[in-house]
Amino acid sequence: MNLTVARLTLRQLLGRRRVLLLLLLAALLLAVAVIYRLTGSEGQRAEIFTSRLLSDFGLATLMPLVALLLGTATLGAEIEDGTAIYLLAKPISRATILFTKLAIAAVGSVLLTALPIFLAGAITGAGLDNGIALAFAVAAAVGSLIYCAIFVALSLVTGRALIFGLLYVLVWEGLLAGLFAGTRTFSVRQQSLAIADALTDAPARVLTAQLDLTTAIVIGGVLLVGATALAIRRLRRLEIAGETA
Amino acid sequence: MTGQVAAAGIAVDHVARWYGNVVAINDVSFTLNGGVTGLLGPNGAGKSTLLHMMSGFLRPSAGTVAIEGKAPWADPEIYRRIGLVPERESAYTFLTGREFVVASARLQKLPDPAAAAARAIGLVELESAADRAIGTYSKGMRQRVKVAASLVHDPAILLLDEPFNGMDPRQRLHMMELLRRLGSEGRTIVFSSHILEEVGRLAEQVLVIVAGRLAASGDFREIRRLMTDRPHTFTVRSSDDRRLASVLVAQPTIAGVALEDGMLTVRSNDFGAFSRTISGLARRAGVSLHELLPTDESLESVFSYLVRR
Repeated sequence: MNLTVARLTLRQLLGRRRVLLLLLLAALLLAVAVIYRLTGSEGQRAEIFTSRLLSDFGLATLMPLVALLLGTATLGAEIEDGTAIYLLAKPISRATILFTKLAIAAVGSVLLTALPIFLAGAITGAGLDNGIALAFAVAAAVGSLIYCAIFVALSLVTGRALIFGLLYVLVWEGLLAGLFAGTRTFSVRQQSLAIADALTDAPARVLTAQLDLTTAIVIGGVLLVGATALAIRRLRRLEIAGETA
Repeated sequence: MTGQVAAAGIAVDHVARWYGNVVAINDVSFTLNGGVTGLLGPNGAGKSTLLHMMSGFLRPSAGTVAIEGKAPWADPEIYRRIGLVPERESAYTFLTGREFVVASARLQKLPDPAAAAARAIGLVELESAADRAIGTYSKGMRQRVKVAASLVHDPAILLLDEPFNGMDPRQRLHMMELLRRLGSEGRTIVFSSHILEEVGRLAEQVLVIVAGRLAASGDFREIRRLMTDRPHTFTVRSSDDRRLASVLVAQPTIAGVALEDGMLTVRSNDFGAFSRTISGLARRAGVSLHELLPTDESLESVFSYLVRR
């Protein structure tokens, strides 16, 4: 970690409009939870609703979007707008720069994902029973880290990381993972659900993951390490040409 | 910042760089040891590519680049010795000038970042605007804050890509004075420019890059002479073009004369002699000169001549 890189990255991220969008998205999750609390039922129906809300809105929508926007902004957007050169032309190892950027993206994602998920779970009134809120929050934190590593690496592989990231989330995770069991293995959403399922005492009708915990942890770990290693390699070999060449 | 530093070497040996099928730099070799060197060439000639290879941001496709004997490609440690001023205007617009330079000092792991930043800001005379956000800076001020950030660690080698872009004449003069002083202290300063006069006023030595090749190198005056003494073509309008043509064709400094479409075109091998003698020759022949226009004075045509030479 390099504190100066972290500070610069954080200030640059906070200045981007996309962060505002993410705050709105997180606020929407909380708003739905508040509305349910005011109008919805209690008991197991509330548990099922909470589980659905945290799974479909929290893990399936908020988590990948936050990680995608922060992960691609933290380094890819700086390379795009030309400011990255001021960090890269310094005697700091590229791995340190990468780890710092990844850490900022991951911490930001956890704050904007895991925290609202926990709060939403607590607000509905059913999330604290059986530890659903905490389980989903921990799952979201782990999932955010893996997503960020993937999206940071993607931003170093292609200039269209946002599009490819969205395709992964919508097509691979949203469509293919529902149709073919094999594709679920490489779905961060499914890995996160497996972690949430393992951490809660909720009955099967409230939450059932489609991936077993061991597979989720092993594949998630491989994705995290693999994406980080790829990102470091790409950053070390990143070429920057002048405007007029 | 003012201390003497040991001369630092840049060695470029048979370097080429291509992007797919496009050759950006083709078999360029030179060595630089201290002083101010201008990379001169038209836009798109490959100056930036060359600078980015020297600064470790582009890998040569062939040949070698060495900074003090070490290849700069993928070696961040080289940035303790190099300062780089990129052409692109981008900067952290949300930071003040001082915050930007202090951040650079911290990233260089200097013991007293605030003092180093204050010195560098003083060097580029940006004290009065140092505590304003870079977003409010003019183009020239942004250039200067970039130079301050690149100087903060007192590098032995300073690479600047089109550093005078957007500067007003006073800022330009000041920057030239600064670079000249840094060069006289033993640093190796390399800057790129497509403006002949800029390079002429600052650089002790010049590397002329045209279409990816090193077209000429050496002392600026020598290159200026080569450029001046190249064959020049003029169009002439006079009271009697035919008579003037017959007089001119007998002169040893005239390489060719053409009378086409009522227009007299003259090609001279010696710009100086031709411009000194034409009016006397015309007068003696009883011909009045109405107009004498050089036809190929664009920088591109000058550079093309150097390549063909």
